[in-house]
Amino acid sequence: MAEEFPVVSLDSEAREAVQLLAARRLPGLIVVREDGTPYSVLPASQVVRFLVPSYVQDDPSLARVIDEPLADRVADKLSGVPVRKLLPSEPAELPVVNHDDTVLEIAAIMARLRCPLVAVVKDKQIIGAITASRLLELVAPKD
Amino acid sequence: MTAIAIVVFAVAYVLIATEWTHKLLAALGGAAVLLALGVTDSEHAFYSPDTGVDWDVIFLLFGMMVIVGVLRRTGVFEYVAIWAAKRAKGSPLRVMILLTLITAAASAFLDNVTTVLLIAPVTLLVCERLGINPVPFLIAEVMASNIGGAATLIGDPPNIIIASRSGLTFNDFLVHMTPLVVIELAVFTLVLPRLFRGSFAVDPERVDDVMRLNEREAIADKVLLIKCGAVLVLVFAGFIGRSLFGVAPSVVALLGAGLLVLISGVKTRDYMGSVEWQTLLFFAGLFVMVGALVKTGVISRLADAVGAATEGRALLATMLILVVSAVLSGIVDNIPYVATMSPVVLELTKTVADPSQANALWWALAIGADFGGNATAIGASANVVVIGLALRAGYPISFWEFTRKGIVITAITIAVAAPYLWLRYFAFA
Repeated sequence: MAEEFPVVSLDSEAREAVQLLAARRLPGLIVVREDGTPYSVLPASQVVRFLVPSYVQDDPSLARVIDEPLADRVADKLSGVPVRKLLPSEPAELPVVNHDDTVLEIAAIMARLRCPLVAVVKDKQIIGAITASRLLELVAPKD
Repeated sequence: MTAIAIVVFAVAYVLIATEWTHKLLAALGGAAVLLALGVTDSEHAFYSPDTGVDWDVIFLLFGMMVIVGVLRRTGVFEYVAIWAAKRAKGSPLRVMILLTLITAAASAFLDNVTTVLLIAPVTLLVCERLGINPVPFLIAEVMASNIGGAATLIGDPPNIIIASRSGLTFNDFLVHMTPLVVIELAVFTLVLPRLFRGSFAVDPERVDDVMRLNEREAIADKVLLIKCGAVLVLVFAGFIGRSLFGVAPSVVALLGAGLLVLISGVKTRDYMGSVEWQTLLFFAGLFVMVGALVKTGVISRLADAVGAATEGRALLATMLILVVSAVLSGIVDNIPYVATMSPVVLELTKTVADPSQANALWWALAIGADFGGNATAIGASANVVVIGLALRAGYPISFWEFTRKGIVITAITIAVAAPYLWLRYFAFA
């Protein structure tokens, strides 16, 4: 059920991680520690949240007053920033499943953590990942 | 019963000041203990204007929270702030002066926390465009907010409590407090360049980024803006014309809120979401605790002691209240402080024959509590809110970074207020 999935380390360049997300249209990335054990999942929506200035999150009407050329520069924030900076300050529960878990177990974790992606581990090492769309593909009724 | 009332009050106050527990828990917990032990009862806690919950204060706050909740959806505040930044042509000092004056003016009519929640995001935007550190701007604005809020009855919660306990009207605040606040703001503006020296260097090329902001886009709904404007005019007419209409400010605010909700079409969830229920319940808990002190005679004995210490000299009492209020409001939240001191000042005013000088005691309490909020990073709720917003934006403001500026501004504003009180109510009375 698990598919091969790109992983990035905590200290990888955020810009490169985002380019990977964009180029392959991924729902998120698995973030690993230096020893290769999973640390967190970085959903694409979290990256989008990082790109939006905090003052616009506090007052969304300010997004309208910024013109297009200025708005296009939001990705400048990624320069020189490691992936760990993109993650929430308080680490969320890691969305990880065992390689022999059932579809329902995986769906339950995705639903509870509201995460579009779970890492699949065997003997504490990542062997792949399951996306929400892959999960739906498995459970969707066949015609 | 007296000893229990004092101990429960003291413990709750320490918990509120130190934030060892949430202040709402401390206030409601203290009130619950006093009710459970029979120090006060439902008759005194809920139905007595002297020893119970001051419903005028609660409902005035509630009504204004609903009105502000609808008003902030219009984007008018963002429009004015960006317009001002563009009028300053990107000069950081001019931007700071204009934004602080706008903040002060808005704070006179909105509560301070709401005002800084509205101005801080715009300030962060403008400073980011200019490539300058927003921290001095945010500190200056929150201080202006605490000063400006003193100008009117509805500008700062301590003023609302004072008005309700003293019987002073909206117009009394306009006549007695607003002139002082105007003077204070003029002095504050003169002090800003020295206080934040070295914070105004800007790359001329960044100025264009500010000039390209489009403030017109901030206005999301022009019809809603017109409706809000019309209701606000009616509400302030109600406040100012109290003697004419005989309607209490709390009722005016409630009627205004109801009218605005009716004509704006804003959903219940949206306008009720702007009501700070925790704040209202915190007030209720405080009133019950302070009411128990009034009921058990603690407050009247404290007032007697202050009266004896000042030997009935109104000027000495006024200056004492001014300075002590400024110092204590920097250490503890000025809302519980004023809730506690109001009954004391009420007792003291009974010992002063000249009504003008008796009222000077109330003005000293309002000035000390409002301006004293600037003294430290935790002196006023607005300070805490701005520091939190700055941290989220990646600009941490340390306690001492704020406080070393705050002490200077508090000292200056109190030094200006003291001769104002003396000249107006004693020297030429």
